Amino acid sequence: MQPIMIHLEGIHKTYAGAQPLHVLKGIDLDIAEGELVSIMGASGSGKSTLLNILGILDDYDEGDYYLAGTLIKNLSETRAAEYRNHMIGFIFQSFNLIGFKTAVENVELPLFYQGVSRRKRHQLAMAELEKMGLTDWAQHYPNEMSGGQRQRVAIARALVTRPKIILADEPTGALDSKTGIEVMELLKRLNREERITMIIVTHDPGVAAQTNRIIRIKDGVIEK
Amino acid sequence: MIETFTEIWQTARRNKLRTSLTGFAVAWGIFMLVVLLGAGNGLINAQMQNNDRYVDNSMMIFGGMTSKPYDGLKEGRDIRLDNNDLVTTQNRFTQNVDKAGAVLYEEGATITVGENYVSSSLRGVYPMDQEINKKEIVAGRFINDIDIRDQRKVLILPENQARELVPHNPRSLVGKSVKVGDLAFTVIGVEKEDKSRMSTEVTVPFTTLQTIYNYGNRVGRINFTFHGLTTEKENEAFEERYRATINRQHQAAPDDADAIWIWNRFTQAMQMAKGMNIIRTALWIIGLFTLLSGIVGVSNIMLITVRERTREFGIRKAIGASPLSILRIIITESVVVTGFFGYIGMLLGICANLYMDATLGSKPIETGLFTTTVFVDPTVSLGTCVGVTLVLVVAGTIAGLMPALKAAKIRPIEALRAE
Repeated sequence: MQPIMIHLEGIHKTYAGAQPLHVLKGIDLDIAEGELVSIMGASGSGKSTLLNILGILDDYDEGDYYLAGTLIKNLSETRAAEYRNHMIGFIFQSFNLIGFKTAVENVELPLFYQGVSRRKRHQLAMAELEKMGLTDWAQHYPNEMSGGQRQRVAIARALVTRPKIILADEPTGALDSKTGIEVMELLKRLNREERITMIIVTHDPGVAAQTNRIIRIKDGVIEK
Repeated sequence: MIETFTEIWQTARRNKLRTSLTGFAVAWGIFMLVVLLGAGNGLINAQMQNNDRYVDNSMMIFGGMTSKPYDGLKEGRDIRLDNNDLVTTQNRFTQNVDKAGAVLYEEGATITVGENYVSSSLRGVYPMDQEINKKEIVAGRFINDIDIRDQRKVLILPENQARELVPHNPRSLVGKSVKVGDLAFTVIGVEKEDKSRMSTEVTVPFTTLQTIYNYGNRVGRINFTFHGLTTEKENEAFEERYRATINRQHQAAPDDADAIWIWNRFTQAMQMAKGMNIIRTALWIIGLFTLLSGIVGVSNIMLITVRERTREFGIRKAIGASPLSILRIIITESVVVTGFFGYIGMLLGICANLYMDATLGSKPIETGLFTTTVFVDPTVSLGTCVGVTLVLVVAGTIAGLMPALKAAKIRPIEALRAE
């Protein structure tokens, strides 16, 4: 058994409002280091909320969340940003690259927030792009690239800080099926070769089937 | 740092029209501020130059009319200053008074040299008059103590009158004899004419004038220079003491403010300086309010920028940007935009000042009787430029603060959701 990377215990989350919405109703979950896990569920099931909590983009009301042994609870914004920066790589459905920055500048950005020097940053970003086969595209802007290329730039950006986990939200959602398969192959290869823990949120059973374990969420609880 | 500037350049370039319109508002505000301050300085400097014709630390005393009964005498008596008052001024106030003198005028004197003549008035003075009124002698000398003692019949002509008498070589008159009415006087000097008023006064020794024209022991006015009175309070105290002493010599109430008139150039200069400061402050306030509209403009586009870049800031935060770093982006951008356009405005303002200096500033206005300059050196000092720079930085920060706080509060999940 691998050491535990993610440990969730009794996580509850309610969105306040005129009609309070109890989204997560006691999530208990363990994900081991190097696992490739997918989270499935209908919209409104709470899977996005769970992903946000895992990604320290949102906080939770009850329970405990340990990421690589660190308790993630009641963090200040600055602290949360720091943890995200060092421990988590995000891959989004719509890529979320910054439009007025070139591919390599986009990949450099997380390192910039770590305070890495200019030259070192560029070096690391270029190395990451090379792994993605995008060396020739480094100086191009996102709108000059195809969807698959953009997603690979986004993956390079997620990996450049050597994070503990990669959180991918519908990584193939905006791609055609062929490119989607390529991106999945890439993620699987990264998981296999670099032993990176990966959590993929998806609707697509085809995508989910390629992962080691499927976690299904329904009405705020994990289906057994 | 380089990243920050390239980023600002990138975003500014994407919204050329918006950036330049806002920039114009800021540039205009600073332009107005600099032009106003420059023009104000021009007016103030011109005023200062006019005042410069006198020595500041001097007083002039005139006889007045009593306003209250005293010592059995009715009010409404004319007070005429006399030699006794001059002696008192000189001897009783040695602690403060340096040199005292008196002035007498005699109107309507015709000065003749051969066939040429000019009509002038005579002005009898003491040697210290040269210092008090900053008389500039271009040939010969001024009145001296021996002229006073011996009541010599000597005079000093202003250069314009000398020129009318001897058109080609006015200065050659020095040492020559001229006729004043029926009397012969020797010209001992030629003084530079005072262009700020009609110069028709011929200067003679005070005692000569007093004797020839039968003034007895009367003096027209007394003037003196003083020292050791630095505050308004000290000046007032001195004036009170002085007034009481002179009033008593004329059987007038010691506190009668109308018996003699005291014109203190020092306190006048002090009040003038105070007035100048008020003008300067007012100009700053007007200029800053003009600038304010520009600042509001910058704040406004920064708000729009933040809205437009919500998603970008969300991404940045998701990958590890702290709220502080987002805050910094916006404030820096605001300061750079304000500073850049502000400097353009400042340079244009300085150019406008230099243009004013080259046109109005160097051209005296000729009225026929006198010449005057409305603007003297209408420019701003380096200190003002530093001040304006400081204003720009502060203004930029204030303009960026609200939008920046808004940007720093952006929550990444909401930003990323907003497609």
